[in-house]
Amino acid sequence: MTGLGRIGLVAVRELRAERREPDGIVAAVTFIAVLVLLESLVVGPVVARDADIAPALFWIALAFATILATMRSFDRELEDDALEGLVALPGGRDALFGGKVVAIAVVLAIVALVGGLLSLVLLDLPLALPLHLVVVVVLGVVALPPVVVVDVVLALRLRARAALVPILALPVLVPQLVAASRGASAAIAGDAVGALSWAGLLFAFAVVYGVIGLTIVPAAIE
Amino acid sequence: MIETTFWRGSVPRVRPLLGIVAAASFVVASYMALVWAPTDAVQGDVYRILYVHVPLAWLAYLAFVIVFLASIGWLWTKRPVFDAIAVASAEIGVLFTGLFLVAGSIWAKPTWGVWWTWEPRLVTTAIMFVMYVGYLLLRSLSPDFSRRATRAAIFGIVAVIDVPIVHLSVLWANSLHQLPTVLRASGSPALDSAMLLTLMVSLAAYTLIYVYFMSARISLELARQERSWATT
Repeated sequence: MTGLGRIGLVAVRELRAERREPDGIVAAVTFIAVLVLLESLVVGPVVARDADIAPALFWIALAFATILATMRSFDRELEDDALEGLVALPGGRDALFGGKVVAIAVVLAIVALVGGLLSLVLLDLPLALPLHLVVVVVLGVVALPPVVVVDVVLALRLRARAALVPILALPVLVPQLVAASRGASAAIAGDAVGALSWAGLLFAFAVVYGVIGLTIVPAAIE
Repeated sequence: MIETTFWRGSVPRVRPLLGIVAAASFVVASYMALVWAPTDAVQGDVYRILYVHVPLAWLAYLAFVIVFLASIGWLWTKRPVFDAIAVASAEIGVLFTGLFLVAGSIWAKPTWGVWWTWEPRLVTTAIMFVMYVGYLLLRSLSPDFSRRATRAAIFGIVAVIDVPIVHLSVLWANSLHQLPTVLRASGSPALDSAMLLTLMVSLAAYTLIYVYFMSARISLELARQERSWATT
């Protein structure tokens, strides 16, 4: 079986586990919905509708949702002692990172869809370029998981890891969050070139961290 | 398989001499910065903090690039000396980044009127500081030597991407921060020759201090590793 095939297998296995016990996705969707609702209460409805503020808060919420979903995914592995079995399989160690990233990106796409629709409807955001927004969101959803999966693997089985993972992941995610927020702002405001430029940066970060993760994460899995 | 033969080299023998040279060069650099260099026509004497701020920035970058290279060295060879280099450089890098931020704030208050402002260079530097505090936290929470070194090495490789982001942030975004005055794409440094010489001497002095700190901290880390191996 090729490397891509193994990654696909791990991703399918992960998504099946998520369907059987959807606590990760439920927690992430609920989390982002609560944040969207809180947003207009905390900053006021006028500020919350601002084309710069709404995307920034949305992407920060999505970054936390990524951490939540990824930690839940690895917790499930540890609870079932499944990680040892997966790593022991031929090529399992190499496929773990890729498979997790793909599966968490799919979960995150659902979370982003729900959170995005809630933001657009509840905040009544005027959206000038919907297709450009979709491109930014898709690339943003692909760019966040590689960093978070690396950091969750590094903090695996450590005490205080619930506190450690956000400390490790959020500073590394800053460029992706800036690019995703600016890209979404540009799409909402009707700036096509701006939206696509930020989307390009998101793609570049997804590739860079994807390659780094595929290269070095197998060394970190014990 | 971990290489448990400990590298010693001749560094401990030359360290006292290195310390004397570093201290002497620091005294010379301080004299040049405070007395010899001319007063800036626009900023007055407050600009003199540049002779501390810029070397600290350079060493923060250098320290984190060394962490990156040592991390690759550990993953590649599993020789404990690379982990010792990485932790030494990360600790010194965090110290210098903290001082770099403090020096920048001291300069910003009389120049910009505020201790802190939300502009790209300051924010990305603060993020780099937090990132490497996270690196040290990751190390402190990992009890087993080999696992700690591997986890830290991977994070050291991931985190280095922030170094060029910090440096180039003034070019990429509208920034209050001064643009590069020495390493400029457009040509020669935009700095008076006496000021440039003082800056170069300061850079050399602070780099020697970094090398001295590194040699002392690496020796300490190697002794710790050796002791932990002896007790297990």
